[in-house]
Amino acid sequence: SLIKTGSKPPTTPVKLKKVSTFQEFESNTSDAWDLGDDDDELLAIAAENLNTEVVMETAHKVIQNHSKLQEQHKLQEEQLQEEKQVESSELSSVAYGDNRLVKSVSEGHTSSSSDNASENSSMQRSQSLPQTSTPPLVSGIADHSTSITSALTEREASRLDKFKQLLAGPNTNLEELRKLSWSGIPKQVRPIAWKLLSIHIDIPRMSPEVLRLQPKVTEIFERILFIWAIRHPASGYVQGINDLVTPFFVVFICEYMEDDEVENFDVSSLPEEVLQNIEADSYWCMSKLLDGIQDNYTFAQPGIQKKVKMLEELVRRIDEQVHRHLDEHEVKYLQFAFRWMNNLLMREVPLRCTIRLWDTYQSEPEGFSHFHLYVCAAFLVRWRKEILEEKDFQELLIFLQNLPTMHWGNEEISVLLAEAYRLKFAFADAPNHYKK
Amino acid sequence: MQKPGQKEHLYKLLVIGDLGVGKTSIIKRYVHQNFSPHYRATIGVDFALKVLSWDAETVVRLQLWDIAGQERFGNMTRVYYREAMGAFIVFDVTRPATFEAVTKWKEDLDSKLVLPNGKPVPTVLLANKCDQGIDVLMNNGIKMDQFCQENGFVGWFETSAKENININEASRCLVKHIIASESDPIQSIEPDIIKPHLNSSKIVSCSACFKS
Repeated sequence: SLIKTGSKPPTTPVKLKKVSTFQEFESNTSDAWDLGDDDDELLAIAAENLNTEVVMETAHKVIQNHSKLQEQHKLQEEQLQEEKQVESSELSSVAYGDNRLVKSVSEGHTSSSSDNASENSSMQRSQSLPQTSTPPLVSGIADHSTSITSALTEREASRLDKFKQLLAGPNTNLEELRKLSWSGIPKQVRPIAWKLLSIHIDIPRMSPEVLRLQPKVTEIFERILFIWAIRHPASGYVQGINDLVTPFFVVFICEYMEDDEVENFDVSSLPEEVLQNIEADSYWCMSKLLDGIQDNYTFAQPGIQKKVKMLEELVRRIDEQVHRHLDEHEVKYLQFAFRWMNNLLMREVPLRCTIRLWDTYQSEPEGFSHFHLYVCAAFLVRWRKEILEEKDFQELLIFLQNLPTMHWGNEEISVLLAEAYRLKFAFADAPNHYKK
Repeated sequence: MQKPGQKEHLYKLLVIGDLGVGKTSIIKRYVHQNFSPHYRATIGVDFALKVLSWDAETVVRLQLWDIAGQERFGNMTRVYYREAMGAFIVFDVTRPATFEAVTKWKEDLDSKLVLPNGKPVPTVLLANKCDQGIDVLMNNGIKMDQFCQENGFVGWFETSAKENININEASRCLVKHIIASESDPIQSIEPDIIKPHLNSSKIVSCSACFKS
């Protein structure tokens, strides 16, 4: 399939080892998921830490399997002309929502685009091909930050077309989707794209508070978190995980919302079946996310402690003046950046920005676990002027814990991501860059 | 704010206790004079600053460190406790389990933090949400006094962040003890016994606050 050829072909021994290591990790965490069957071999290989590459690869496989299933269903559908068959598969509804979503996207595409437009978009597509072999993200970002409003609409339209083209086929090339998504996903295709990307907005006025206060939503969140917690006894429930459900839930619920409804949308007005699907999608997407950052939420949160330390080293290298200033005023990174790591910056930027950020995190390899570190570094240095002006510990800490991002939107996030990407690129050849 | 000839004190105060007991609400009430029933769980540590005109000659700046209640964060409390001069330990009067955790927090605090003179930091116990009517302490004032004595609290208050009950009083009590311990670092301070008037608990005095 397309996906298979798109992913990196690892050499066989490495691949075998990785799979085993992942299974070992699973049994280490006493997870309730299926365990590996060859315990002796697993113990022999035993690795202390989860290799995030393994997670990515395993997740990839899951998606491949789902994709195959999807293909089978497609065949069944053609043979039997029966859509109910499709919905009967638990797996496909988990990974992709259901086929109805895919279909509606493709239908939307064919009905809305004129011959001209599709000609255009296919041209766009062929033009974009050479781009995609180089890091496609820089150019995308540059467009974002420099574009003029009139050009933006056209550009957005063409981007949307690209997404629709990509999503129209029975199999979606996920590598391609990742590349496209890196610089932002159009609202219309975001729900399906997120579902595809994570097993897998513009919603500026949606207040997560308003949403969260609805009893129906509380109920759903509690179930999601409870089930996750009992299936991950090594982690249990850590404060902050609840935040991480919100973007998924909001993106998926937006699919059923008119633009004028976002301010006071009553979740309980949706049919039970729809809510159950949203709940399942949110659960699986959150699980996938957390799989990549497990050690953030195990006892004493070693992943977070490690990342805060890494952030400090990184900032020391990229902006010594800021680092020294914080140090001189006895501001410790743990005092402000613990939350940045624990909640993936969700408490620091508006929800719409988190959602935009996650477009990229889901397209970037190790987005949530590794790239996030560079985003945090870029985020801190973004405030260098204000930080250097504060000459008092109190004021510094209050500033750092209440950064003025209320007005932020896609532009600011795109700039942040571009800077983060630049940092990542600059340090890519220095694997020990955050060690002294 | 500081006038010529005024002394300024800067104190780091910790606010600790189990999750959901109202630590953030108490601080929001104390510093911003407002209350919302919907604060999100604190992650890591939140920081706030309160400036008090203590008396004609003294300004007191309080650094309030609002430490996340989840026990899992326990491993990091040592970092957050550093150089604190006083502490509030908070529990929720409607949830007995949060009171049971008070001694655990006190032990954690005392094991990781001592004053330069080797003594434990002055700590005030706050029985929060006293507006809720479901008071597990009802008529247990004497037992609470005894509890404070046995566990090394300098005093206790029934508080409500929602109704703004006793928060300023509790803070003044704690600051008083800090100043006392500072001005005479060798002399030990007798633990205070607070007897809240349960029916009119708006004004509760801390006996030590009249001592000096």
